[in-house]
Amino acid sequence: MRLAVFVSDLRSTVDTLERLKAEKLGIVLVGNGVYHASLKENGKSSPLLDKPASFYVLSEDLETRGISASEVDSRVKVVNYGDVVDLIFNEYEKLAWL
Amino acid sequence: MGVLSIGVFSSLIGSMNLDFALKLADAALQKGHKVNLWLSGNATSLVKKDQKHLKDYSTGEKPLKALLEKGVEVCTCEACTLARGIQKTDAIEGVQWNAMHWYLAKIHESDRVLHIGGE
Repeated sequence: MRLAVFVSDLRSTVDTLERLKAEKLGIVLVGNGVYHASLKENGKSSPLLDKPASFYVLSEDLETRGISASEVDSRVKVVNYGDVVDLIFNEYEKLAWL
Repeated sequence: MGVLSIGVFSSLIGSMNLDFALKLADAALQKGHKVNLWLSGNATSLVKKDQKHLKDYSTGEKPLKALLEKGVEVCTCEACTLARGIQKTDAIEGVQWNAMHWYLAKIHESDRVLHIGGE
């Protein structure tokens, strides 16, 4: 199964993701979930980014939070809404929201 | 092109998830897809008309009307909406009122489904 998981929060999502199994996993960071792509704690980036998945972050939600693309972890691809639609229809088949 | 059904439980203004759903629906339309939008729980507050768009506040009425005009099918859960004191006479024109089976039928005929839970 090709699964795209929308992560819209910073708090309690990493453990839920541990239980999700997918042949191909995409994690789309939106809303406050975009902080996973840029925040560092004690110099370390979000543990979410250590998962074996493709990572995307919504540009509009970065901008509204004052985060520039240069602050985004290199493992995460910056996308817009149109790109998200293409991911939904072309790259993944099942969608989840956390 | 495909069919995308989005179900939303998040509240108007209280959560940015509803804003996301409206923008995603618009982006999918622009890519030529068909979109269905199901509103349940606190998301049903979106269908109340005469919302005042305050500066620096997100707003639902204007984008929802734009989606309706572009052909998005929008349905609100009748029970959830009435339970929140919103009558049909209070609602934005063009929004359908129905029960969960509307959503299930749309899911059945969709290529992709995104269900956005409540707060």
